[in-house]
Amino acid sequence: MSETGVTATAVPGDALSKVNVRGGGATALPPSGVRRRRSKGLSWRGRLEITLLSGPAIVVFVLFVIVPVFVALYYSFFAWKGYGPATNFIGFDNYTWTLGNKDFWSAVGHNFAIAGLSLLFQGPLAVLLALLLNQKMRGRSLIRVLIFVPYVISEAIVGIGWRLMLSDTGAINGLLHRLGIDSIVSWISDPKIALWTLMFVITWKYIGFAVILMLAGLQGIPEELSEAAAVDGASYWQIQRHIMLPLLAPTIKIWAFLSVIGSMQLFDLVYIIWGQYIANISGTSTMAYFMAQNGRLSGQLGRGSAIAIVVFVISLVVALAFQKFVMNRNTEGALTSKED
Amino acid sequence: MTHAKKFVTALTITAMAGFALAGCGNNPTDPATSGAGGSSSAAAGEDVAMTFWHNGTGDKSQAYWKDVVAAFETDNPGVTIEIQVVQNEELDGKLQTAMQAGTAPDIFLQRGGGKMAEMVDAGLVMDITDKIDADIKEAYGAGAFGFDTLAGKIYAMPMSAQPEGLWYSQDLFDQAGITTNPTDMASFNDAVSKLKAANIQPIALGAQDAWPAAHWYYSFALRECSQDVVENLATDKELADGCWLRAFTDLDTLAKTEPFNQGFLTTVAQQGAGSAAGLIANHQAAMDLMGAWEPGVIGDLTPDKETLPDLRWFPFPAVDGGEGDPDAIMAGSDGYSCSAGAPDACVKFLNFIAQKEYNEGYATAYATIPANSEAMGVVEDPALKAAATAFSKAPYSVLWFDTSLGQEVGNAVNNAVVALLAGQADPAAALAQMQAAVKAG
Repeated sequence: MSETGVTATAVPGDALSKVNVRGGGATALPPSGVRRRRSKGLSWRGRLEITLLSGPAIVVFVLFVIVPVFVALYYSFFAWKGYGPATNFIGFDNYTWTLGNKDFWSAVGHNFAIAGLSLLFQGPLAVLLALLLNQKMRGRSLIRVLIFVPYVISEAIVGIGWRLMLSDTGAINGLLHRLGIDSIVSWISDPKIALWTLMFVITWKYIGFAVILMLAGLQGIPEELSEAAAVDGASYWQIQRHIMLPLLAPTIKIWAFLSVIGSMQLFDLVYIIWGQYIANISGTSTMAYFMAQNGRLSGQLGRGSAIAIVVFVISLVVALAFQKFVMNRNTEGALTSKED
Repeated sequence: MTHAKKFVTALTITAMAGFALAGCGNNPTDPATSGAGGSSSAAAGEDVAMTFWHNGTGDKSQAYWKDVVAAFETDNPGVTIEIQVVQNEELDGKLQTAMQAGTAPDIFLQRGGGKMAEMVDAGLVMDITDKIDADIKEAYGAGAFGFDTLAGKIYAMPMSAQPEGLWYSQDLFDQAGITTNPTDMASFNDAVSKLKAANIQPIALGAQDAWPAAHWYYSFALRECSQDVVENLATDKELADGCWLRAFTDLDTLAKTEPFNQGFLTTVAQQGAGSAAGLIANHQAAMDLMGAWEPGVIGDLTPDKETLPDLRWFPFPAVDGGEGDPDAIMAGSDGYSCSAGAPDACVKFLNFIAQKEYNEGYATAYATIPANSEAMGVVEDPALKAAATAFSKAPYSVLWFDTSLGQEVGNAVNNAVVALLAGQADPAAALAQMQAAVKAG
């Protein structure tokens, strides 16, 4: 239980994304007959089915997501070191400490920077790659696999690999040395470079996921549309720009949502590549990193819980805002065009 | 229909409640369950299963513990011990989590100091004062339990003594023309210049893990601060003495001479050939400031996995105007504790491993200095011998400051020192960070 401070946000964040994704995904789908039938009222058999199927998921969700959030909330009001029961009630001190800490706000800034840069880098790149891989060409499946491989490898392995390669005496500087470039670049510890290093690794790691999503989206677009456009004399780029991209918009929005949520939760890659402390001096610390350091590493689990709650609220606000301002229009557009 | 519906609903609710109750079984606020350990305590004659966590990830230390546990199990039929090896940097957090969840191991590595005090305060560690065999107590000597004692009670069986100092390669020192070991900062800086002139990286520093860098600060503080100040750490909550700032300034001055290995901010302490210990093991750097576990760690990273033949030791140099005794030593001790609810066999195991034979084996496997003074004969490594001698002659010894001051301060010093070494904080800012943590902790 003492890990509450650390896991609490990770879990709700994770589940949050899943829940929201499910919601977003469902609304993006064209309405089918199922929905109309359901609204007429259910037989007890139907209800039993729903109870049986959703029961375990609800139990797990409540136990491992909702309950920990409240446990974290409870501990956040104590000066608690993680051993034994929490007895030293200190009110909102942990919150004022967190909100008054400039390192926390720079971590928040890094999270938002990572979210923004991820959209900027990965979005266009993923769309282009998906358009490319949507063509019939030789070696297509091989390229698809290669792009997807980094996403499949666990974060821990990726992190250790990149840490070894990016360290000052690592393989990348070694390669540069062989190419005749002898100035040592501190990819990890130089604050001017580190964030870009992180963006590179993130892009490399998660671009495969974006591409797969976009590809699936593209393949859901009926071929007749582009064929018809081609018959009407539209060029390849005109087809992509005026037919494929608009129809891909719902997919892009869902990917953007996932990407933003992922950026808010980012922890493992930073923690492994930068280690327990170096991210603070290189400007790559994230909210979760700050929480691990000032909650777990400093043995102040009550304070860690308070940070977790703050991070949870920030992530929730971001997620809800995204849903309201981006996802809603998505469903409106998609639904009306189909039902027209 | 309606009956069936109600029945299903009731069934679901019952199932959910059952799950919820099961979840509450490990109620974190219940000290009785959290102290109970991973196994039930059994009466004599019954089968007893215990869990054991240690940090000996090296081949030799893993083999040592396997053999010792096997020997103990043979001597005590019905007792089984399940070993889990936990990577050193992960151990404290994992232990804390397990203790809180009520799944603490019965036997675990104990570093003493503030961390131990927190566990003791929460009633999670067994008081073994009266359970240690009389002949073990005698063999160890009175001072040996110092780091594991709290308010007159002993909470762990020490297995090693780990004085800190500079471990260095004699070959590289010879190559650089350093004939006598540095005793003060002037001669130390001179040695650094000579090493640089000979194209040798003077000091290996695993600053990515931060704590090795913090040890440089602690060592400077040991030399700068008077015995009175360092021994009353827990009572002086302000860190008002000027020595704390001077120690940061000393470290800053040293760092400005660029004595550390290339890319020390991205160098880890102990894992792999590129780590600080690995650099020493492969003659890529000359010195490393560490506790007496160092020969073992280095030995695991040499190409032939044997102890480095030219490894030697000298104490941290004196600083000009320092109020601390230049012969004082900072040290730690790896001990082993039983969790509060562990079965009796646990203390039996601690007494078992403390015997001369097994403490010797421990010292050999970890390439360190045994806590049992009767086992001291096993120390043959010249570096370890030098460290052991200096330790026994030290006018006073001090436990690692991060261990004695607690995690909060240790974490703050880690951050402060890294920022200082990266040129992002000056000594005053670093001290302010440490002072704020002392107040909060």
